[in-house]
Amino acid sequence: MVIERASATLSFYEWFPTAALSWLVVVGGVCLAALLIGWLATAVRHGPLAAARIVGRVLANAAVDVICISPRRVWALGWLAVRESIRRRGAVAVVFAVFIVVLMFAGWFLDPTSTHPARLYLSFVLTATSYLVLVLALFLSAFSLPSDIKSKTLHTVVTKPVRASEVVLGRILGFVAVGTLLLVVMGAMSYGFVVRWLSHSHELTVDNLRVVEQSAKDKPELHEGFTSRVREHRHKVTVDASGRGSVAMEKGHWHDFSAEQSRGKTIYRIGPAKGMLLARVPIYGTLRFLDRTGRKADKGVNVGYIWAYRSYIEGGKLAAAIWTFDGVTEEQFPEKQFPKGLPLEMTIEVFRTYKGYTGDPDNIPGIPGSLSIRNPKTGKWVEARIFTAKEFTTDVLYIPRELETSDRRKLDLFADLIVDGKLEVSLRCMQRQQYFGAAQADLYLRARDSSFTLNFIKGYVGIWLQMVLIIGFGVLFSTFLSGAVAAIATLGVLVGGLFRSFMFNLAASQLMNEEGLKEVGREKVMGGGPIEAAIRMLTHQNLITDMEPGLRTTVAKMVDVVLSLGMYVTASILPGFWDYSFADYVAYGFDISSHTILQSACSALGYLVPLFVAAYLFLKTREVAR
Amino acid sequence: MQSDARQSEVVIETRNLTKVYRDFWGRQKVRALKALDLEVRRGEVFGLLGPNGSGKTTTIKLMLGLLFPTSGQALVFGRDATEVTKNERIGYLTEESYLYRFLNAEETLDFYGRLFDMSRAQRRQRTFDLIEMVGLDWARKRQLKEYSKGMARRIGLAQALINDPELILLDEPTTGLDPIGTREMKDLILRLRDEGKTILLCSHLLADVQDVCDRIAILYQGELKELGRVEDLLKVRDVTEICSRGLSKEAQREVRAVIAKHNGEVLSMDNPTTTLERLFLDIIEESKAHPGRRVRGVERGKEEKGEGRREKGEG
Repeated sequence: MVIERASATLSFYEWFPTAALSWLVVVGGVCLAALLIGWLATAVRHGPLAAARIVGRVLANAAVDVICISPRRVWALGWLAVRESIRRRGAVAVVFAVFIVVLMFAGWFLDPTSTHPARLYLSFVLTATSYLVLVLALFLSAFSLPSDIKSKTLHTVVTKPVRASEVVLGRILGFVAVGTLLLVVMGAMSYGFVVRWLSHSHELTVDNLRVVEQSAKDKPELHEGFTSRVREHRHKVTVDASGRGSVAMEKGHWHDFSAEQSRGKTIYRIGPAKGMLLARVPIYGTLRFLDRTGRKADKGVNVGYIWAYRSYIEGGKLAAAIWTFDGVTEEQFPEKQFPKGLPLEMTIEVFRTYKGYTGDPDNIPGIPGSLSIRNPKTGKWVEARIFTAKEFTTDVLYIPRELETSDRRKLDLFADLIVDGKLEVSLRCMQRQQYFGAAQADLYLRARDSSFTLNFIKGYVGIWLQMVLIIGFGVLFSTFLSGAVAAIATLGVLVGGLFRSFMFNLAASQLMNEEGLKEVGREKVMGGGPIEAAIRMLTHQNLITDMEPGLRTTVAKMVDVVLSLGMYVTASILPGFWDYSFADYVAYGFDISSHTILQSACSALGYLVPLFVAAYLFLKTREVAR
Repeated sequence: MQSDARQSEVVIETRNLTKVYRDFWGRQKVRALKALDLEVRRGEVFGLLGPNGSGKTTTIKLMLGLLFPTSGQALVFGRDATEVTKNERIGYLTEESYLYRFLNAEETLDFYGRLFDMSRAQRRQRTFDLIEMVGLDWARKRQLKEYSKGMARRIGLAQALINDPELILLDEPTTGLDPIGTREMKDLILRLRDEGKTILLCSHLLADVQDVCDRIAILYQGELKELGRVEDLLKVRDVTEICSRGLSKEAQREVRAVIAKHNGEVLSMDNPTTTLERLFLDIIEESKAHPGRRVRGVERGKEEKGEGRREKGEG
């Protein structure tokens, strides 16, 4: 699974201090700027001293309005928002109806030949839920207050002892309650849908098996065959003479196999699907590289892909990708539970400088690679596994507990090679002129699995956080914009948030040179800024060649710098909605750690507090009757 | 003494209250209210009259904090009109029933009761009493979107009284009510006044205002044109109406003497009153003819006192 966020691998306690400090600096700066602008605007009309008094009074009133919030009034206003959403606006019913229809007919358009049906179904339900709930949250939050102001129903509310802070908070909480209820129902239905559609079994009879020819006469008899075809696939089955068998993995799952004798006949039973609905708890390490001469390098080789998520190591050289794991103990991997050794899962990419094969045309060899373990104290490497790279899938390998050095000494993995919980695993490509690509999250230790159901729920927590943010922005915009404009503004925030990374890269490409981009971890976006890109489009120029020097180019670049600055600031303010999406974790079967949830929740709260304060100030300073 | 002091307590006070509507660029569009100085005292029914666009509703909205003054001040119970806490003691009946149509009557009153931080028991009792009072017990569970205009006005009145307010602002309270409903509304206003509440009402229905108001103010194009007690304002000074016998004061005395001499009975010998409608229209006409001037001079009550003292001196 791709994990591009560096913070995703940090614990909450490592992440929080820096994040909190950044938040304080940004919010403090924005508050000071807002105070200054407010004072200047007031001073123009009333003079500087009077303006200072007015601003002071506004701040004092704001403090009172926030501190003296009445829970009963907030509850009343929230309950009103819930009833309004359900009774007055048919949006909730429409969204729910659309969801039901989509689920009912999902089987018609979900690809039955998918190699990973679990990923497909889980991605589908999470994405469908996410889009529907976010759209609903957008419309509810953006249109509610403007509608009340237009119909003047708000007049009968604000002429009661109701503070603007209570109006804002009540709306936010009310819509969050409606969205949460809908999410719970949709989540439960999605869970049932996924489990129902993925659960299946196969049939196997004696007639499906044939004897496998053995090259050696003393080898036991083996039977092989295939199960019945269900859901566009079947499994290869191997049964030995004693009746023990195994069902091979297919489409990301396998089944248990059992055989029994009944009335002189052998009956084979294939159990329910296993291995599809997972929540792996990976132990990630930190990744570093060695170049082709064996020296330390910042990164691996760039083979020319635009997406630089993975770095590549050259085969047949001293180049290596080395993962260092901390806190690895034998208690985490007891021998009884892990008899084959230390479980390691790996997803690597292969880049070929030449294609083709030698040897048997029916047996195309893959690219060989090796995994080695390094003793951190002595620095010596011990080769642990030779493997053939499996592309586009996650390979499961086991590091044996007992390893042999080149001089045939036996070493125990935990006793001799893991020191103070530190384990180093090195990956090398063994074929010249071929490359292995790897990122930090591509190799991990798999200690245990968490509950899939709990992980599924955590996936919906991510959608819930996105929904809460949309509601916050929607309510904010609705305090000073009309309904339609507030909806467009909120949609702009959503789209901008989804493309936040691209906006950062685009802006940084205009504001920084190559080294600067490297320092801040940004990628260069070819084609220039907005004005230059428009000129290139109109003049049919490609992205790579430089623009012709001249006044037009100079002016375009200057304007682009200004626009890029604005884009950079905007991207810095917008929430990265992808950061709150845990759909990939659930679909790919990785546990969403509590640290990740806490980080996301804190981050969302970091947005909601200023959104609430800003919405309160806009509503408070607004003439409701105008 | 305390009762007198309480009665003379100023509940609403506007000082040079001005409201100018501006466009997006800050240019003046409409001057809705100009330098309004007004006082409403505790326990009185005060009427705010004026043609459309005269600034009545703007005045009420400024008092409630729904609009902010361009200059001047509006004080309610001694506090600035934009302070939320003053609303604890206020009830407001809007011009139309701007209520949430997806709620029923009980839910509506319960909701507004919660906004006053009333306990569940209080809300329940108050909801029951008010729905009974406005005569909508039979429709308590129906959503307001199914209500007629008159029914909606009744519920609007109920929500205005949910907190048993000291000051009640009524914007066109009898609009949409049938004659019986109108009579009931007027009786209610008088009853509330007798309970010591202060009522400020706007209305175009001059007969209704005449029936219930103690004092009135007449606005035209944002300016205060007339202010005083109803009976004083409606008095026609240059006309002496003799109901039985008599002409001038001397003649009246002679007439009285003559009547007494002739053993007659003086039914009334006083200045006649015109109707409020006539007064209203006359003032508007005079204001059109003389814009920018208050044509009737100082408040009538004070004028009367001055005349009375002069008469005594003469006498």
